Amino acid sequence: MESIRQFLFEQQAAGVLPDMFQYGFLINSLAAALMIGPLLGGMGSLVVIKRLAFFSEAVGHAALTGIAIGILLGEPASHPFGGLFSFCLTFAVLLHWVKSRTAVPYDALVGVFLAVAIASGAALLLFVARKVNIHILENVLFGSILTVQDTDLAILAVITLLCMAAMLLFGNRALIATLSPEQAKVRGIRVNLYEYAFVLLIALITVAAVKIAGAILVGAMLLIPATTARLVTRNVMQFFWVNIVISTCCCVAGILLPMVFDLPVPSGAAIVLLASIGFVAAVGFNRIRSLA
Amino acid sequence: MKGPSISLQNVSLNLAGNCILEPVNAELQAGQLHLLIGPNGAGKTSLLKTLLGLMPHKGEVLRHWPAGTDKNTSDRLPVYIPQQPKFDAVLPVTVMDYLAASISRRPLFFRQSGRIKTQVMETLEVVAMADKAELQLGKLSGGERQRLMFAQALQQKAGLWFMDEPMTGLDGEGQRIITGLIQRLRQEQKTLVMVHHDMDFVRQYADNVLLVDGGVKQTGTPEQVLGRSDTAMLEVA
Repeated sequence: MESIRQFLFEQQAAGVLPDMFQYGFLINSLAAALMIGPLLGGMGSLVVIKRLAFFSEAVGHAALTGIAIGILLGEPASHPFGGLFSFCLTFAVLLHWVKSRTAVPYDALVGVFLAVAIASGAALLLFVARKVNIHILENVLFGSILTVQDTDLAILAVITLLCMAAMLLFGNRALIATLSPEQAKVRGIRVNLYEYAFVLLIALITVAAVKIAGAILVGAMLLIPATTARLVTRNVMQFFWVNIVISTCCCVAGILLPMVFDLPVPSGAAIVLLASIGFVAAVGFNRIRSLA
Repeated sequence: MKGPSISLQNVSLNLAGNCILEPVNAELQAGQLHLLIGPNGAGKTSLLKTLLGLMPHKGEVLRHWPAGTDKNTSDRLPVYIPQQPKFDAVLPVTVMDYLAASISRRPLFFRQSGRIKTQVMETLEVVAMADKAELQLGKLSGGERQRLMFAQALQQKAGLWFMDEPMTGLDGEGQRIITGLIQRLRQEQKTLVMVHHDMDFVRQYADNVLLVDGGVKQTGTPEQVLGRSDTAMLEVA
């Protein structure tokens, strides 16, 4: 990563790139966005097909509690990965486990878990405030391009590779298991295993994207580009790639535009606002297409 | 591939403390069309799903495959055609996507090979849906969804078929196509187990009939079972 940064610094010094590329944090954020964008887009397609949008929202909120636990257990405030990953993964698996053992509707169950995640996060904040500057939590909630470090990029790269491998190897079977679960079971597809693997991947992605998109907004980035793409595409291939393009463009533009226009907007908020504009445009486009 | 015979040994089903099926002992011969009939709520679908292993039943359901069939082949996996499958109305998944996902190793987000597309189109032609390949699943009518299920099942080349009221939603043309297909499968000596409520169909095509009402009350040829039952009650089931 250091050699890429040096190369871009040289290009900026030579006047090839704009001034903002003199900042290492911007290069780190763009590198993260170029991994997170396709990741959120690709997996967002399956999130929408599986109707797990609300679930990813809940996992995003669980990140707040995870970070608080990590800090309270002595991890550094800038990367409390132990607390973050272990709490979010446990939260996701527990939620899915309870879902398979209760007749409570899934949206109600996710609502309960979401409330618990927020309440426990809020309760722990008071203790965290005694240990670290509470403003660090703003970064966690809404994302910040200033906080992305090489360790974050390395973790993101590993998660990206993991998700790509899973999609390439098991994407079709996961789709069949989602659309026709009973038939998939009869055909020897281990539907439960796929479900757990998928919620774990979503939890990992959510955690990985927290620094850029923020805990509150990461769920929206799994949902909005996919919902937009669904409106304007006709088959799975189009859906997948259009979703990736929208998501990646929003992530990159959400980092660059506030810097270009010198706006004090957190990266997560900028990314989600751009994605929302895309969604409104797609709704309008669809409306015009239906009238034509 | 020829189908297996199926033995049910003391198969019973209880859900949430309610007895859905009393202990059932029955033999379903290989290569025959077995029809499950009975009134509403009698447990026909539950019995079908129990035979498929989708229900937490007691007792044994054993499949005896003809000698010489490969133990490890995926052709031994049964196919299941559920009652009235439903799909999200606006999901961008086409008929081609759905069928290609079943047979292609290449992920659907890459362009599928000509061989896979040809294979899918050939299957769609069997169920007279070749012109619907690019239609989204949510835009299919009930009858078309039913025919799609048959198309997907045909791709598996299985010897054992389970069908839950597969004629539901089909128009006259659709019924003719599916009836022809069922006859063809029977000629190929597949074992077919089907829930159905049209007694004319049962009389005309069934090799074996199981009258279900909280358990299997009667088994035999259509004449043996229907001759002793209130068929008017069964028609509306």
